[in-house]
Amino acid sequence: MHDTKSPLSIPPTPRNGWSPRPRSDTLFFLVMGGISSCFIVLIVLMLVADILFTTPRNFYDALSKPEIRAALRLTVFSCTAAAILSVWVGTPLGYLLSRYKFRGRWLVDTLVDIPIVLPPLVLGLSLLILFHQPIFGLQLEGTFRDSLGVPITYSWRAVVLAQFAVACAFSVRTMRVTFDQMNPRAEEVARTLGCTRGQAFWQIALPQARRGIVTAFTIAWARALGEFGPILVFAGTTRMRTEVLSTSVFLELSTGNLDAAVAVSLLMVVMAVAVLLVLRLFGTGLKT
Amino acid sequence: MNRQTIVMFGSVVLFVAMLFLMNVSNTTQRTRGLSGTDEEPLVVFCAASNRVVMESIRAQYEKEFSRPIQIQYGPSQTLLSNIELSGAGDLYLPADDSFVELGNSKGLLSEVLPLASMHAVVAVRRGNPKNIQVFSDLLQPGIRVVQASPDAAAIGKRTKLALMDANLWDPLKAATVAFRTTVTDVANDLVVNAADACIVYDAIMKSYPDLEAIQLPEFKGIVSKVSLAVVSGSKQPQAALHFARYVAAKDRGLVHYAEQGFQIERGDTWSDQPELSVFAGSMLRPAIEETLIAFEKREGVRVTRVYNGCGVLVAQMKAGQHPDAYFACDTEFMSQVPDLFPNPVDVSRNELVILVKKGNPLDINSLRDLTRKGVRVGVGHEKQCAMGWLTKNTLRESGLETEVMENVTVQSPTGDMLVNQMRAGALDAAVAYLSNAAGAAESLDAIPIVGLSCSLATQPFAVAEGSRNARLAERLFRKICSTESKETFEAEGFRWRDPAPYGKQLVP
Repeated sequence: MHDTKSPLSIPPTPRNGWSPRPRSDTLFFLVMGGISSCFIVLIVLMLVADILFTTPRNFYDALSKPEIRAALRLTVFSCTAAAILSVWVGTPLGYLLSRYKFRGRWLVDTLVDIPIVLPPLVLGLSLLILFHQPIFGLQLEGTFRDSLGVPITYSWRAVVLAQFAVACAFSVRTMRVTFDQMNPRAEEVARTLGCTRGQAFWQIALPQARRGIVTAFTIAWARALGEFGPILVFAGTTRMRTEVLSTSVFLELSTGNLDAAVAVSLLMVVMAVAVLLVLRLFGTGLKT
Repeated sequence: MNRQTIVMFGSVVLFVAMLFLMNVSNTTQRTRGLSGTDEEPLVVFCAASNRVVMESIRAQYEKEFSRPIQIQYGPSQTLLSNIELSGAGDLYLPADDSFVELGNSKGLLSEVLPLASMHAVVAVRRGNPKNIQVFSDLLQPGIRVVQASPDAAAIGKRTKLALMDANLWDPLKAATVAFRTTVTDVANDLVVNAADACIVYDAIMKSYPDLEAIQLPEFKGIVSKVSLAVVSGSKQPQAALHFARYVAAKDRGLVHYAEQGFQIERGDTWSDQPELSVFAGSMLRPAIEETLIAFEKREGVRVTRVYNGCGVLVAQMKAGQHPDAYFACDTEFMSQVPDLFPNPVDVSRNELVILVKKGNPLDINSLRDLTRKGVRVGVGHEKQCAMGWLTKNTLRESGLETEVMENVTVQSPTGDMLVNQMRAGALDAAVAYLSNAAGAAESLDAIPIVGLSCSLATQPFAVAEGSRNARLAERLFRKICSTESKETFEAEGFRWRDPAPYGKQLVP
């Protein structure tokens, strides 16, 4: 954890290969570690409290309920679909915001953040209004349902859309930071060698942004997993149809079934940790 | 194919696979247990607190009728907002009736079926470790009281109102460490040891085996009701009412409510297609017939009507025939069967008039003109119908009874028969209701009888004590109280008494 590049900090060469750490460094690590550990300890204690509150039997009982298993399936499928969509949209939008200055960029940049700052219930309400209020004589829900035979509201499609609406904002933000941190020189060189902008993006920028894409996918997936408010309002909580794990927790809490609520919460923690670890290990190659 | 293309292609395949799996999973769930049915599912917006009882009722109903029920759970207010915004849904079951009142005020709901009531109690952990016995114990230092917010939950609002009347609200508010948005949040605080005592509904205690309820007199009058309402915009009201009747039936849905600790309301006996019998005075037929037809169609029930003179109807009832509802021509004929119909509500008034031929060729302008020699007069039979009884009273009060009766050639059990005889030319004048003349305006004129208050008849409606279909009859009454029905009554010559506010006493 020391700076190896600074020309001002050349450590003295130890005679026996070991040098005592200066007292000031010990204090530094104590203070920094102490402050940092507060957060870590808080999370660990919360998880420990959850584990102590429930029992393996409760966990098993919760998992054996068909509605919880259906919610688990829908959660995995919808989160994955929403995360893929988020990356598809977030990558080009992040690239444009990072590489080009165009009129109204500040506006687009601000609009992208709206789902992040908006209260989740309001986002769900806005989606509901969007699909049910006629806009220029066109009602989206009616069009999808009657013309295409594909109802959106109160179906699994609404779950994916509600998750996407929030997750995509995080994906765009992540991708923009990724492209900001990449030197555009390689793309410019490629263009001087005859590449079009598209080829430079596809063959140079995209491979370089691989870790950012994986991170964006991970964050989007995790955000979608925890999404609750918009799903409650826009997709409803019909058991076996639009119920996801976050709404299962709410439903169990609402009927005083705290044991099942905690068990489902722990299941979500396990899922989130598993996905984060898998992506971290196999996606980015980061093992530390 | 380079690496990015492979990844891109892979993501497309994965995305499509996810959509496919969700679609397959959803279709499988929808058809499981309901095979062979193509019916549109009924959508019920249900408060999450009713989930346990609603799921068991749904399972039983789907098994019995193979009609799919799709239930959306959530907070009552959020569900109501969803109904308002999306216009979707067939039924609404909120946590308490304050949301029904709110939905009604916005015109979002129509029929309301009462299910159960809930009473406020003090909940403590089992064994009552803080030894809370009386109200003042809640105010002791060190006792953490949690209750529902008066702004967000009905129990909070009702607790505040009840305790304010007794000047107990301020001390309890001072002793309350937190106000929560729902009653289950309040109880959950007790379970996780974040509170020592909570104000909750007795109905939720069944879900909390680690808690026990303490009844305190200060909370005794705090009651909320649970009701199921039909959404006004429902595209399948008949199916919605079928399920609603099932939930509210004392031998179906209410059994589940009782098992979950609710104090259930009086419910009808279940029948797939109930038959409601209604006795009504003949004069009321043109005013209520359309309403009855619409009611039958919307509810999916049969209404057996018996129209006759009220004296005849009373005789039938005294002989043992007991209809579910009775709509009398006058209060006099309702008061003759008080044991059967203890809670009548006045709906309309009708006045006696003198019917004469169009243009009034005999120049009849008052009751006295009916005493002229040679005038052929028809009146109602005093024992067979309210109209005859009222006519007799009116003639007696006018002091002309003997002279007019000398000219009476016909005493009929109904006003319609008098009208027919007038149109056939068998009578020169008849004393009948204004409403009787409404359908014969092209051939008859009506001369008002002025200065005699007893010439006015009041029509009360009542539901029979002990009726198997009391709630159904109560809903018929609501239909009769509707604006459309009022317009029909007024078009038929009746005066409206605005009965709706008094309808709550119909079924105690």
